[in-house]
Amino acid sequence: MEEKDESEQRVWSWGAGTEGQLGTKILQDENFPQLLHQPSLSSVSSLACGGAHVIALTSAGKVLSWGRGNSGQLGHGEVVSNALYPKAVTSLDGYVITHVAAGWSHSAFVSDPGCVFTCGDGSFGQLGHGDQASHYSPVKVSCFVDQHVAQVACGMRHSLVLLKGRCCYADCAGNQVYGFGSGKRGQLGVNDRIKSVNVPRVVSGFEGVEIIEIAANGDHSAAVSVDGHVYTWGRGFKGFEDAHVPQCLNSTLNFTKVALGWNHALAMSGEEEVYMLDQKRQPKCRTIRLHFREVNLEKVPGLDEMKITDIATGAEHSVIVTGKMQSCSQAKHGEIKTWGWGEHGQLGLGDTCDRISPATVSLDYDLNEAASIRVFCGSGFTFAITMP
Amino acid sequence: MSYDDVEIEDMEWNEELQAYTYPCPCGDLFQITKDDLKLGEEIARCPSCSLYITVIYNIEDFLADSDQNRQNKGLQPLTVA
Repeated sequence: MEEKDESEQRVWSWGAGTEGQLGTKILQDENFPQLLHQPSLSSVSSLACGGAHVIALTSAGKVLSWGRGNSGQLGHGEVVSNALYPKAVTSLDGYVITHVAAGWSHSAFVSDPGCVFTCGDGSFGQLGHGDQASHYSPVKVSCFVDQHVAQVACGMRHSLVLLKGRCCYADCAGNQVYGFGSGKRGQLGVNDRIKSVNVPRVVSGFEGVEIIEIAANGDHSAAVSVDGHVYTWGRGFKGFEDAHVPQCLNSTLNFTKVALGWNHALAMSGEEEVYMLDQKRQPKCRTIRLHFREVNLEKVPGLDEMKITDIATGAEHSVIVTGKMQSCSQAKHGEIKTWGWGEHGQLGLGDTCDRISPATVSLDYDLNEAASIRVFCGSGFTFAITMP
Repeated sequence: MSYDDVEIEDMEWNEELQAYTYPCPCGDLFQITKDDLKLGEEIARCPSCSLYITVIYNIEDFLADSDQNRQNKGLQPLTVA
């Protein structure tokens, strides 16, 4: 639709690649960022990365997908194993898609003005269609046909849906967030110890709270409220008990975004700082199970005065984007920094080593050329895209 | 160190791989066969990386399962892979 020059947009990928998830047309891991030469990705506005597949959303509201497809998570309507390069999800061509999400082996799409479609593995009810069936094409979730959905989030075996707030009746009644799929670790937040549900259920505990963002990964769920509080529920982070209802993090910080891994989380504050949720390598006392509310947020070390403009988390790695910094001596460029598990090259640092503190990824590109850069993580891989 | 402890009921039977599987953070699957379980093996490995998980299960469930199979199969000869 847009006629402006879109050739400026760049997309890089690195990390685990043996399922085609890097979009490099080669089934192999990459330890360095790979610049993708894919015309179809020239107007990508957002990505969702799952266990081993990627969903791309274009600025025109079209959807492309690639990577592992054995459960139907690519939505191409056929039983294909893998797609090595971006392929259009043509069954959604009649819709303008506004939001996409990718779980371990399922995917979800929000259309304007607010319907949800799901496809992929449905064994745990994570597609929300009232059964355990899997689907190779996106199918509309009937529960939300009369609702206005804003966002979806997909974890390992569960899904979350956020209805639009303020403009509708949902926000104050506390029925703004829904969960379905596996609930064994509390990740549905329905205050019931249920193994799984295959139709959406209201997440409890949000009466009088307006949620603006949701996140899911592994067996974890999280939400950010309009007043900057982070709520988490589901599997307890290392050494902590599972939470079956959303728990508000005890912090005075004003958070704007949360990103979940399988055993850690990052939260970005309105002051463009990034905090890490419980990733202590050696708990001081392993025998005492700490209460969830006592989870400590630690500022990610080694970032000094740097402003953080984006965050993303894979299963066991973290990625942040630092903003441009103007000081009297020098103008520091924006950078991508990574840390965590690196066995598949997902840190993009040229090796397969782990890092315990943020290290700078070399892209051979001046990030100041781009208006901004965004990062996205699948389980063991990473994408970075410049926004023109 | 084991990446995680996973109950067998949380693992999925994969017909193609003939193994119980569980997602590995690298994107591949931790795998363990019924024969492994019958032998008391409790480590499920990922073929793509160095990680492994500890499988929580009751070995009797798998030994009993094989006895029952033999009875159900009656006179059918047992094929051993």
